[in-house]
Amino acid sequence: MRTLPLKPRRSARVADLAMKGLLWTVALGFIAALLVVMGAILKQGWPVLNWGFFTKMPETLDAGGGIRPELFNSLYLVALSLALSLPIGLGAGIYMAEYARPGRWMDFLRLCIETLAATPSIVLALFGLMIFVQALDWSFSIRSGAMALALLNIPVITRVTELSLRGVPHELKEASYGLGATKLQTILRALLPSAAPGLLTGTVLAAGRAFGESAVLVFTAGTNTSMAFPDFSLKAPGETLAVHLWYVVSDGTLPDAREIAAGTAAVMILVLLVMNVVVRLVDRRLKRHAR
Amino acid sequence: MAMDAPLAAPARPKRPWTLLADRSAGSIFLLCTLVLVALILGLLGFLAWRGLGAFIAVPGNTGRVLSLREVFLGLDWSPNQDHFGVMPFILGSLTVVGLSIALAGPLGILTAVFVTQMAPKWMRALLRQTMDLLVGIPSVVYGIFGLATLLPFLSKGWLSDLPAAGFLASALILTVMIIPTVVSLSMDAFEALPRSLNEGARALGSTSWQSTARVLIPAAWPRLVTAIVLGMGRAIGEAMAVQMVIGNNPQWIGLMRDLTDKTPILRFLFTPASTLTTELVQELPNTPAHSPWNNVLFALGLLLYLLTMGSILFTRRMAGKRA
Amino acid sequence: MPDNALLEPKTENAAAAAARAKLRAVDLKVAYGDKEVLKGVSLDVPTNQVTAIIGPSGCGKSTFLKCFNRIHELGGPAKVSGRLELDGGDLMGLHEVELRRRVGMVFQKPNPFPKSIYDNVSFGPRLFGVRGRADLDAAVEDGLRKAALWDEVKDRLKDSALGLSGGQQQRLCIARALAVQPEVMLMDEPCSALDPIATAKIEELIFELKKELTIVIVTHNMQQAARASDRTAFLWMGELVEEGETEAIFTNPRKPMTEDYITGRFG
Repeated sequence: MRTLPLKPRRSARVADLAMKGLLWTVALGFIAALLVVMGAILKQGWPVLNWGFFTKMPETLDAGGGIRPELFNSLYLVALSLALSLPIGLGAGIYMAEYARPGRWMDFLRLCIETLAATPSIVLALFGLMIFVQALDWSFSIRSGAMALALLNIPVITRVTELSLRGVPHELKEASYGLGATKLQTILRALLPSAAPGLLTGTVLAAGRAFGESAVLVFTAGTNTSMAFPDFSLKAPGETLAVHLWYVVSDGTLPDAREIAAGTAAVMILVLLVMNVVVRLVDRRLKRHAR
Repeated sequence: MAMDAPLAAPARPKRPWTLLADRSAGSIFLLCTLVLVALILGLLGFLAWRGLGAFIAVPGNTGRVLSLREVFLGLDWSPNQDHFGVMPFILGSLTVVGLSIALAGPLGILTAVFVTQMAPKWMRALLRQTMDLLVGIPSVVYGIFGLATLLPFLSKGWLSDLPAAGFLASALILTVMIIPTVVSLSMDAFEALPRSLNEGARALGSTSWQSTARVLIPAAWPRLVTAIVLGMGRAIGEAMAVQMVIGNNPQWIGLMRDLTDKTPILRFLFTPASTLTTELVQELPNTPAHSPWNNVLFALGLLLYLLTMGSILFTRRMAGKRA
Repeated sequence: MPDNALLEPKTENAAAAAARAKLRAVDLKVAYGDKEVLKGVSLDVPTNQVTAIIGPSGCGKSTFLKCFNRIHELGGPAKVSGRLELDGGDLMGLHEVELRRRVGMVFQKPNPFPKSIYDNVSFGPRLFGVRGRADLDAAVEDGLRKAALWDEVKDRLKDSALGLSGGQQQRLCIARALAVQPEVMLMDEPCSALDPIATAKIEELIFELKKELTIVIVTHNMQQAARASDRTAFLWMGELVEEGETEAIFTNPRKPMTEDYITGRFG
């Protein structure tokens, strides 16, 4: 046979080194992007954060307003929306993991869940506006917002539930059946507890997403707050932190709109960081317990 | 554990309600799932009802019936003068999404290559944490970052002395927002490949990058495309962050036409514009229900929803091909 | 040369053998973290012969094999001490790309790339700068012929390699490795995923190939070692228990442990 001139090429080695450098640069740039975003937000918002900012009512025309009702509304809406979406999401997740058999029906259901999870929140906002605000005539209120927000949470919780249940070792299920437990007993007493770390993390993530959501709420919970505090009324208007941030900036009637927005953004970033740490701690704790 | 009890006590027959609960549980869980199905169909139905109302005479509608042609091919959006062309929003969305995916696609895939092929453990953990946080940052916070930090930076004059709100700023913000999606799905794509592929390529004398470029990326390609499509899906649906930095100008096409600039590309990148989502945020609250104006906005919502469905179906087909 | 007296060639014969050694490991130690996989193995692999490495799973035979083209480095940072030689030169001193061109490898499971048959075999030559259509065609045909696969696939070179049977895929991997004209072929249990007929074909192939190259094969199949190899080395717990002519090892092992293993009393 003919011998081919096979030579290791310098260019290949150079390219390899260059790509390694590029990949490190990209990865570090990625981290830098996070630091820049967070740093800029915290730097601009920090000076605004003082006791008054958290305890005062917002102003509509004058400087120096606070975010007390918005903070309350954000937490209230997250809690309500979770209360609405958890049962349905858990149920649907359990069905997908334990009852549905692989096949067309399951494919169709999964398609629905994926589509709902990928639906832009502005589309859910239109739906919420059409159904809750207009058709049911609930106007811009806590209840409209909670329902619309629940729509956003349901697919997230469904997926988390299904994934966590599928992650439970098969032996556990067999052991439970072996002791004579029914399917429901097995799910409730053996599978769900051992899937708890995943479920909890997923729920906190869903809560975080709901906490930061704005598009859906602008059109359902509205851009006003109740003058009473704390107002648990479901019919009260329910502007949240995220909506407040957006509204003061786009409305532009406040002289200190930028400061209020920066402060609100900083609060949201801090909440996000705290949630992140809590998830990690709880996750570690639960995993140790499970062992 | 709760299961120990029956072992200790003499086994009793199951109480009837235990069996009843077990039997009905399946139907209850199914019902929960059906709520999701109903939602999907309900969304489609209601959006179609209101959106198509722009083109069909529906009782309760005010104003005239529009033609599909004048709406979806029209370049002029001036609802007050009875012009309802939504082309500016479609083109605006395409531009913003195109620019951001052109950045986030390659960068995201490269980051995934880095994480799966060469990153040391600590770097992998650090990147995972970074992505979790980037995903968690709310879109309005990205918006205020864009408004308060990015726009002043862009208009400092080093790129252009034009006012900075527009396509470029939106695309940059969107890039940061969708990169985590692209990275994490691309990572899944690379992790799904058998290790033996890389070993085989390296054993023939490939450098690490040659193995990645010639074997791993082609082998993972269908899933990488899926990652990009889902990233685009996120980009096209994002509303608030883009609305805060894009400048909201439905007449941007006309503006472009009138300009005779020496640097048309720069001018284009810094043109204040509108997209499908920003237009909804901007005008929906101000329009009377069931007017042609309002109906067209719902038609835009329907279009967004159909795009979502389309992208999910597309990724399904890619997954089917893989199997 | 290392100054370890035990490793110095003692007789004229051994010296001749050492001179002919294609590959050589001297007191090779490999550790992953705290786990010592090889605890000082010395072995000469003579040119144009088939050397089989046998031993129970986990004895380090696969790691040992992989050290010869340093593919073990992909498994994470490993601590390696001792000396590895290729043609008497330090193997660790070579650039990995050059080393791997000269020392090819076939893996336990066939690992064709998800590309066409043609692209699989031409992959190596392309890496090393072969561009011309005619050259590539020649390299592909040559590789496939040597791997006794040409007649089966010559009419469907553009088809996906994944459409081939398991045995064909493994021969394709051999063809792919041969296309860069290596001097040594390392085979890591190449037949463990194949049926007996495909296995027989690979063994036949090994017999043909040793005319041109030096082959080291790891196997857990005693019959295969006895049939296909000229020399056999028995590893146990990261140490070389015994090595020598295959016939001698199988008919008259010096160590009782070797005999126990070969006759299936453990492993």
